[in-house]
Amino acid sequence: MELTRTNLSYQKIRSKISPRLAIAAGLVALFVAVPLIYLFVRAAGAEADAWERLLQTRIWRLFGNTLLLVFAVTSGALVTGVSMAWFTERTDVPGKNILRWLLAMPLAIPAYIGAIVHLALLRPRGGYVPQLLEQIIGQPVTTPSPFGFFGAAFILTLFTYPYVYLLSGAAFRSLHASLEEAARTFGRTPLQTLFQVTLPALRPGLTAGALLVALDILAEYGTVALLRYETFSSAIFVQLSGRYDRSAASILSSILVTMAILFLWGELRLQGRARFTQMESNWRPAPITPLGRWRIPAFLLVFGVVSASLLLPAGVLLTWSIQAFLDPEMMSTVFRTGSQGFGSYVWNSLWSSGLAAVIAVLMSLPVALLAVRYPNPFSKFISRLCQVGYALPGVVIALSLVLLVNRLLPFLYATPFVVVIAYVLRHMPQAVRASESALKQLSPSLEEASRTLGRTSLQTVLQVTIPLILPGLLAGGSLVFLTSLKELPATLLLRPAGFDTLAVRVWTWAGEGFYLQAAPAAFILILASALPLYFLLRREQIFR
Amino acid sequence: MQPVKNLFILLFVLALAVSACGGNTVSEEPAEVVESAESVTEEATSAPAEEPVKEMEVSGDLVIYSGRSEPLLQPVIDAFRAKYPAVNVLLKAGSNSELANALIEEQANPQADVFVTTELLTLQSLTAEGVFQSYAPVGVDQIPAEFIGDGNSWTGLTRRVRVIMYNKDLVSEDEVPASIFDLTDPKWQSQIAAAGSTNGGMQAQVAAMQQLLGDEATEEWLTGLIANEVTFFGGHTDVRKAVGAGEFKLGLVNHYYYHLQLAEGGNVGVIYPDQGEGQVGLFSNATGAAVVNGAQHPEAAQAFLDFLVSEEGQKLFAEQNYEYPLRAGVALKEGVQPLDGLRLADVNVVEAAANFDAMFDLIERVGLP
Repeated sequence: MELTRTNLSYQKIRSKISPRLAIAAGLVALFVAVPLIYLFVRAAGAEADAWERLLQTRIWRLFGNTLLLVFAVTSGALVTGVSMAWFTERTDVPGKNILRWLLAMPLAIPAYIGAIVHLALLRPRGGYVPQLLEQIIGQPVTTPSPFGFFGAAFILTLFTYPYVYLLSGAAFRSLHASLEEAARTFGRTPLQTLFQVTLPALRPGLTAGALLVALDILAEYGTVALLRYETFSSAIFVQLSGRYDRSAASILSSILVTMAILFLWGELRLQGRARFTQMESNWRPAPITPLGRWRIPAFLLVFGVVSASLLLPAGVLLTWSIQAFLDPEMMSTVFRTGSQGFGSYVWNSLWSSGLAAVIAVLMSLPVALLAVRYPNPFSKFISRLCQVGYALPGVVIALSLVLLVNRLLPFLYATPFVVVIAYVLRHMPQAVRASESALKQLSPSLEEASRTLGRTSLQTVLQVTIPLILPGLLAGGSLVFLTSLKELPATLLLRPAGFDTLAVRVWTWAGEGFYLQAAPAAFILILASALPLYFLLRREQIFR
Repeated sequence: MQPVKNLFILLFVLALAVSACGGNTVSEEPAEVVESAESVTEEATSAPAEEPVKEMEVSGDLVIYSGRSEPLLQPVIDAFRAKYPAVNVLLKAGSNSELANALIEEQANPQADVFVTTELLTLQSLTAEGVFQSYAPVGVDQIPAEFIGDGNSWTGLTRRVRVIMYNKDLVSEDEVPASIFDLTDPKWQSQIAAAGSTNGGMQAQVAAMQQLLGDEATEEWLTGLIANEVTFFGGHTDVRKAVGAGEFKLGLVNHYYYHLQLAEGGNVGVIYPDQGEGQVGLFSNATGAAVVNGAQHPEAAQAFLDFLVSEEGQKLFAEQNYEYPLRAGVALKEGVQPLDGLRLADVNVVEAAANFDAMFDLIERVGLP
């Protein structure tokens, strides 16, 4: 059988762990853990009546709201992602080579920017769509409102399904044809094959995708705030800009982080020890399902998803940007804040995200080296700890850093570097995962050869390991860069005066209801995200 | 792949075009980054300014925290910069309370030089925390004494009143409610827009109502609004645009949002509510500014406050934003209803500010979005 279970035990440790490496990795883990620990201490130290006030009023409703949204969006993203991947990988839907790209590109669009566009299109009575309908029909038309739960679920699904789409697309692609053929030979119907063979084989990808979506929704601030659906993240933000007391925000944050950690743990449990691997050697593509007369409807369905999540937002933003550029008055007043110009927003975005990417990758190295080359409970613990950023929403990191940095490192406070630190903390897991997977693919024998030839361990890392895993490190860095560029709540809360990024500009203008003015920054933000995304997608199996 | 490549070319062209638009400010940016990393360079550049070349010569950075939304402050900053070209203004705009939180947090390590707010309650309560230093701007004697903080801790700038604006296509003038308490009438269910709990104007109104009418009446009004499915936006610009577009019949806003919407070509009208005998009167509040205690750029901060109080600065507020300048003798913009003929709610700012926490308790209790 091609489908085999492998255990994850790697070769036994031959050399002892280098203390330098262990210390470096330990320091990285400490750096990651401190904000989290501080937050729990703060929450535990909050006065009883702060807890009471929250328990009586907000927490249960927030809990329900948040879980409901996570459930709805994760389900929506799973259904959309898997079906889109099935269409482009397993059917003869027309234009699939282009659609395959277009379906992944919404990852370059932050959900809050998508929400701004959809809001302008759909808002009741005043939106473009209701107004167009009114002109055609001649009387006001009631259209579904984009506000509240349904709007938030719809829009967030549109901008998170690509996670699932990419992972399941890769799984569809790599799944060996003979697996499904064998199932059919043994008398399974196509439907049974789908549920008993194909989907279980997709499971690792699907749970990983679902986890990413769920954590994204927990951390999401911009979209839910814009659509006025209250979740933990937005409630924390309101608390931070409300009364002069941080304890309520700390309490809400610690609950939110606990939820996220439970999700992470749940995914680990679900994934279990079972891994499916198959030989690359005999691989041939699975047969394509001819759609027959359903080809055109299927195309329209896929095209509809692409339009709503990519073409419409990009088109609307481009139109707005051109309008803004053509209006001299807007040009003179809009693109400045204080003494800063539009160029500074672009530059701030690029350098802070770029620096965060470099730091995150560098810091991920000792952790990954320790975890991959010296697997033991200690290194596993360190590696897990570094995943904690996934569970730290931007608003929580901001709260923790504001309090910590101001007390312990006042000279760093209100500098752009605090923003960079927040990016690193939040996106470190992506760097760690990328570095680990790159290292796993590198045979230790190369490093051993280097050691045998008299290089020290540090020389080996610098001269052999790093050059060989450079593409993997670059991928990790691109991912950190991409996600830092989009980061909104932490930037909003931590930015010093005069340090505005593109994301902040989009938010400031759109939050004031000035969509036209927000468009150029949004458009450039999307273009700047498209570059690293393109690089990342090129590495994906389905785009080779 | 080809289209993607083209996208990147477009990106770079756009980035270049945009940097060109940003003008010379772009080139200033890297310097600023270095500056925060090594304060040495900053000292080197600001040292010559300290020599008294000219009395009005002010240079260096000026860090402004503003609860006033950015589009409503930027024109004033532009005019200030025209006068003081050597000052590099660093602006952080947000909600009053968010920035107030930051100022309290930063007391041991002050970052801001000037704080500008849209209401006096925040200024008053921050004064109690010792966040500001006293400064009497040039011309402060032209501002009514009730709009100046104790010991010149803050200075009032302009007044604004809370009005009801309406869409003339949807509502006729005689239909519009004449009191804010009529907004809870089911007749207007889901047809009213207002600003939500994070908005300074709304917070100040709630606090003022608590002071004047008591907790119970205020709570009743708020729960009435929520029950009436009022839509609460983050800011008033959204409200005025939504009313202008006909998404809502009525909007509870500061008066100048009506004028701004009118100037944009919206078919909107305005009602100054609660004017009748025995009614509470118009809720008004004032904007203000203060110099932060421990400000790193006190000269620039003082120059900025002087400018805000000066005739030129006050005129800008009146002309650009239809506000009521506090400085005596500065004319109102044409079309703005003079305050003289209006009946104003008699709110005790000091008392309202002392109970600011009660306001947060209340909006949390009723769940104001």
